[in-house]
Amino acid sequence: MSTIEAVDLHKRFGSIPAVNGVSFKVKEGEIFGFLGPNGAGKTTTIRILTGILKPDSGEARIMGYDVHKDPVKARMLTGVVPEEANPYPDLSAWDNLMLVGYLYGLSKHAAGERAARLLKLLDLYEVRGRKARSLSKGMRQKLLVAMALIGEPKVLFLDEPTSGLDVLSARKIRSLILDLKNNGVTILLTTHNVEEAGELCDRISIINGGQIVETGSPDDLMIKSGLYTYISVKFDRPVDPEDAAQFFKDWEHRVQGSRILLICKESAEPVVRVVEYAKARSLSIIDIHTSPPNLEDVFVKIIGG
Amino acid sequence: MMNTESFSHLWRSTWAICRKDIKLYYAKGPIVVTGVLFPLFLWGAFYIGRGLEPREGLASLITLTIFFTSSSVTPIIAPWETRQRTLEMLLSRPVKVTTILIGDILASTIFGLIFTLPIVLYSIVLGAALSNVLTAIVIITVTVIGFSALGVLFSALPTDTPADVVLLSSAVKLPLVFVSGVLVPLTQLPTWALSIAAASPLTYPTDLLRRLYTGDAFFPESVDIVMLMIFTIMFTVGALKLHEKTLSARLQRR
Repeated sequence: MSTIEAVDLHKRFGSIPAVNGVSFKVKEGEIFGFLGPNGAGKTTTIRILTGILKPDSGEARIMGYDVHKDPVKARMLTGVVPEEANPYPDLSAWDNLMLVGYLYGLSKHAAGERAARLLKLLDLYEVRGRKARSLSKGMRQKLLVAMALIGEPKVLFLDEPTSGLDVLSARKIRSLILDLKNNGVTILLTTHNVEEAGELCDRISIINGGQIVETGSPDDLMIKSGLYTYISVKFDRPVDPEDAAQFFKDWEHRVQGSRILLICKESAEPVVRVVEYAKARSLSIIDIHTSPPNLEDVFVKIIGG
Repeated sequence: MMNTESFSHLWRSTWAICRKDIKLYYAKGPIVVTGVLFPLFLWGAFYIGRGLEPREGLASLITLTIFFTSSSVTPIIAPWETRQRTLEMLLSRPVKVTTILIGDILASTIFGLIFTLPIVLYSIVLGAALSNVLTAIVIITVTVIGFSALGVLFSALPTDTPADVVLLSSAVKLPLVFVSGVLVPLTQLPTWALSIAAASPLTYPTDLLRRLYTGDAFFPESVDIVMLMIFTIMFTVGALKLHEKTLSARLQRR
């Protein structure tokens, strides 16, 4: 059984199709990335999966519970950091957490215990009495993460969890996400930080125009994208351009003095050939540098940028 | 059938929303002005100096206080929380929209009862005793719930601008006061105005309370009770249904 399941979701706002046939499954303990440009349908999909919006058609299930037929049961298993949400600015960090704890049905004692633990974990314990409006953006974001975790969810939806955070806070959240995964929590993550998605996610779906256009692991997506790897080699002396052109004729290449640049779709075989080339001509390799496509290039290529 | 665990969850959620509302919206000075001073001045403007017995105007004062306290804050909570982006935070937790709204109604009911109690006590000091205290408590409580729900009904307008809802609620509430036999007794209203008064939710609690204070009333008691119940149920069910219907449009505002 999949932990998160989206089945042919459709949602229109007036004449605009925000989500148009989105389907995917997320396995237990997986971090699933959801990437797309602004207005692609990410937040609408998350709002459907968390039961905030009803789809026009299709089904959303969390651990087998239909989110719209059994919303409370599904949400009891779920924690959410919505992109467009705030803690109550005129409640303290502590009161915000306790409020959410009660909404999960926790007793005062249980909610208080968990609130204290989470505030300590996220370095917010010292500011627990301060109103949320007086906290920095990073602190408010961490408070929202704590509010998502107080119900000890099996499934976590994180919509732009590190957006606007400083480097240290973002790193703290990323580390927490990996710890949660190691504890078996299933995570659906949307982010504009493509490299962050590549670092954290087991699989990624790229959504554009309300439709999923590609799904796979970060490595799969790089291969599927067909983007090029650049291999730059510097030898100890200039090479013969005609000889080099003949030797590396299988790949697009440039020769300039003692440097050769190869442009290819994979890197292993060309590197072996470079070593063979150098050995046969008694050349020493001073420097070799490979630049594979990064996930951001892949993302831009897939969404047609 | 609801089990004990889910009932306890439902109660904790409702009570948590209610306490949040009281902390954020009701424990504020300006609310006291809107809920207490405004109806008091309105009532005073009509009753003082007309040579009436204090007990004759008490039913009106109680109804006005309930009306202006119970329906003063509930209209702004949903648009305000949409604007603050706290509504979506609440909606993503294991609670239904109806639980949130019932929490809002509960907070408003507590607020309405707290502000009505001094007037009832004051009436006892004046020697204007209620002929049946228990009935009065039931009538006041049901009326407070109904007007709280009316406020929530106004807030179903899918906007993130509280002023939009305040404008709508004022446009409905103020005319209602003048056509409901609250400021002018029903017996003194012209025939054409009586048919409008019959369609007003303020008419029936005023008539019921007037009966308890003075022994006189315009409508038979059973009509007053049935109409009060119909309005309360209509406002409550209407508010819950309409909010579910407009939620999607509301969230698009942010």
